[in-house]
Amino acid sequence: MMRYAKRRTAILLSVTALLLLAWGNAFGYISGVTGTTFNLTARHAHVTAGDGGSIPMWGFALDGGTMQYPGPTLIVNEGDAITVNLTNNLPEPVSIVFPGQAVTATGGVPDTLTMAAPPGGTVSYSFTAANPGTFTYYSGSHADFQVEMGLLGALIVRPSGFVETNPATYSAYGDAGSAYDYEYLFLLTDLDPVAHEQFEFDKLHKVDTTEFTPVYWFINGRTGPDTLAPAKAGWLPTQPYDALARMHPGDRVLIRMIGAGRDLHPFHTHGNNYHVIAKDGVRLVDGASNEIGWSDFTQTVVPGKTVDGIFTWTGAGMGWDIYGHQQDIDNPPTGDFPGAGDIDHNGNGVIDNVAAEPGEDPADHGLPFPVTMPDQLDLTFGQFYSGSPYLGAMGALPPGEGGFNAFGGYFFMWHSHNEKELTNNDIFPGGQMTMMIVEHPSVFIPHYEGETP
Amino acid sequence: MRTRCRYLLALLFVGLALTCASPGLAKVYFQCPGYNPAVDSDGNGDGMLRAADGEISAPLYPTQVCVHLVGGDGFATMADAADTSMYIFGFHNVTGVPDDQVMNMFDAGGGVLAANWPAPTLVFSEGDYVYLTLTNVGMMMRPDLFDPHTVHWHGFPNASAVFDGVPDNSISINMGSSLTYFYHVVEPGTFLYHCHVEATEHMQMGMLGNLYVSPALGANYAYNDLATAFDREFPIQIHAFDPRFHKQHIAVQPLPFARMRDTFPMLNGRGYPDTVNSANIPNELGYDAQTLPTKIEAAPGDTILLRFSSLSTTSFHTLATTGIPMKVIGNGSRIYRGAGEVAGQDISYMTTSVTLGGGEAMDVLLDTTGIPEGTYFLYSTNLNHLSNDTEDYGGMMTEIRVQTGL
Repeated sequence: MMRYAKRRTAILLSVTALLLLAWGNAFGYISGVTGTTFNLTARHAHVTAGDGGSIPMWGFALDGGTMQYPGPTLIVNEGDAITVNLTNNLPEPVSIVFPGQAVTATGGVPDTLTMAAPPGGTVSYSFTAANPGTFTYYSGSHADFQVEMGLLGALIVRPSGFVETNPATYSAYGDAGSAYDYEYLFLLTDLDPVAHEQFEFDKLHKVDTTEFTPVYWFINGRTGPDTLAPAKAGWLPTQPYDALARMHPGDRVLIRMIGAGRDLHPFHTHGNNYHVIAKDGVRLVDGASNEIGWSDFTQTVVPGKTVDGIFTWTGAGMGWDIYGHQQDIDNPPTGDFPGAGDIDHNGNGVIDNVAAEPGEDPADHGLPFPVTMPDQLDLTFGQFYSGSPYLGAMGALPPGEGGFNAFGGYFFMWHSHNEKELTNNDIFPGGQMTMMIVEHPSVFIPHYEGETP
Repeated sequence: MRTRCRYLLALLFVGLALTCASPGLAKVYFQCPGYNPAVDSDGNGDGMLRAADGEISAPLYPTQVCVHLVGGDGFATMADAADTSMYIFGFHNVTGVPDDQVMNMFDAGGGVLAANWPAPTLVFSEGDYVYLTLTNVGMMMRPDLFDPHTVHWHGFPNASAVFDGVPDNSISINMGSSLTYFYHVVEPGTFLYHCHVEATEHMQMGMLGNLYVSPALGANYAYNDLATAFDREFPIQIHAFDPRFHKQHIAVQPLPFARMRDTFPMLNGRGYPDTVNSANIPNELGYDAQTLPTKIEAAPGDTILLRFSSLSTTSFHTLATTGIPMKVIGNGSRIYRGAGEVAGQDISYMTTSVTLGGGEAMDVLLDTTGIPEGTYFLYSTNLNHLSNDTEDYGGMMTEIRVQTGL
């Protein structure tokens, strides 16, 4: 009876959640653009910060469209010949460097690091995506200013054999150690609006890039809490990329971290450690394919560098049943048991037959919740709390509390641990802050855009 | 006299606020299954009730540990010549204090105005079942605030949301009440803990401290690997205060978040030379808020484990040693071997400095074999942090004394 009721709740929840997803979420994968030829335009527009601030930016636009921050995430395949055509609609020469690639520049005018597109002009870059991995690209012209202004982006090279619609083929570097179920990108930037305002007020001659006091901190071009809004949200036209991560217990999650601003940021993953598998697009294994990356929970994300990690979360060893099975065990359903494998989980003399969830730690199965909760009036509730300590469950919340946790998942904050960077221009909370949601095993999380349950 | 008036007035306000705001449900409630206050006590004075030490009559688990912290406010004294007093938020250990006395003032054995800087060091063993009760005793000096508090065990493996202490994602405890966290400690290592409520503010204000877990292999190993053996261990946490933030705070003024500028860099809540002062440091109320010196002492030939962590809210710091090389054997609360596994490839390395941003942890061994007796230094190579605000010759630095008989 109880289990039936539970299932019905689950169905209701799924319907609600599907409605939520239908509104345009792109969670579960990295939003970007695939192909071999990319036409980028450097142009000006504004981005919005979590405090309501509107900041003039320079950035890359795809196919003559809207400028975006960061630039389009270019997703290419190992071995492909890649061409990036750049048109410059900005008042000074702009170029692009692709660290980690052997690039040939065609056309344009000579500039500091590579050939640049003069104002109104074009330049073309071509390279072979020789190695899989996580890379970045950014302006190689007047870079101290232009990168601050937003001329930057991510480049992801898929290994041979990668098929987007077949999650069984997913890996970062083509080997078992870098195989994953879901992948997420965390491109970290920082921003001092002063130079941006000087551009907007036509005072470029006053820009002093030696003065840098960032007051905004971004993940994938958004400040918290916008990081949690759906990808391509209509109200963030120049910031199309979200930073919300989701997984199931036991999934392997590839996290691609890129330092794309001026400061270092300690990026902290609540919930568990991850295993660092690559730096700057180079797999961390020795000659005998042994892992030589470490385990960590806070990554120093360095400007110009990339780091890949494999994050997992199983909930094992908790010392209590995170699925709340003891409630079923204490009120066992009627039926044909005991059957094979049935045991008395909680030692109350009644044989129980409540099945464990996939991947559940057998040692925790059926163990009761360990503490007495205070009265609701003694607690303050977070908007991402389901009201229940159990995974995939909903609990009673006071009126007006919670409501942002569609599936009863475990939300874990992933954020810069230089805590002042959790603000938007002096307003807390915000900044470099997003969430990883561990969802119940029954919750559908798409691996790629358009995947259906 | 004026100061006393200030406290009395504040006390009155807190009393009034608690009386009016709470519907009478709020209560202090220390949860520790099988603990009988009539016969059980913290016999060895380590600040915790441990079943393994016979301090809990009828524990649920043979490795049960119970600890009771309060979250509140107080004052700390900086290491400059002026003994600058800093208003702080902080934790304080009240394990064993009867529930009805926890809301007493610090000088009556309670937790009010008893904040420590840094928070009390929490030491557990692999396999422990920990009941950690947090009671919010309110902020006596800021009676206008009604902030809840949490404990975030930073780095806890396979955490649950409900016990992770992030207020947005779970629950936090209101003033006058208690919330008990439960942790089955399955991984050894150097962790950290702090309050996660309004994290930028509560952490700059001081709600943070050391936390580490000894491995099953033994208390003189850092991890379950014989190569991590040591003779002496010292938890060393990096953090710093922005005096303007703290002054604005007690003056009930807007707080400088984006332009937070730390000028009192510290190790374990003290700037040099206070780091080598083994005595407790009293605050402006005469209460010993700072009880954790960072005096690293060893006999020649000893191997020293430094459990480094950083809870700076603003920047990265590099710590270097003079004369004694470091061996990095742990990182992120895991052994520094391939994939963080004991069976992984050995990737430990020798160095003379390590860099930590906020929220990072690292384990370092110092082998004093062959090192001449004498005084060496552990100091920040962020050289502007070798000061206590405007005074040079201080800040983020301490001494390592290698001497026969120590």
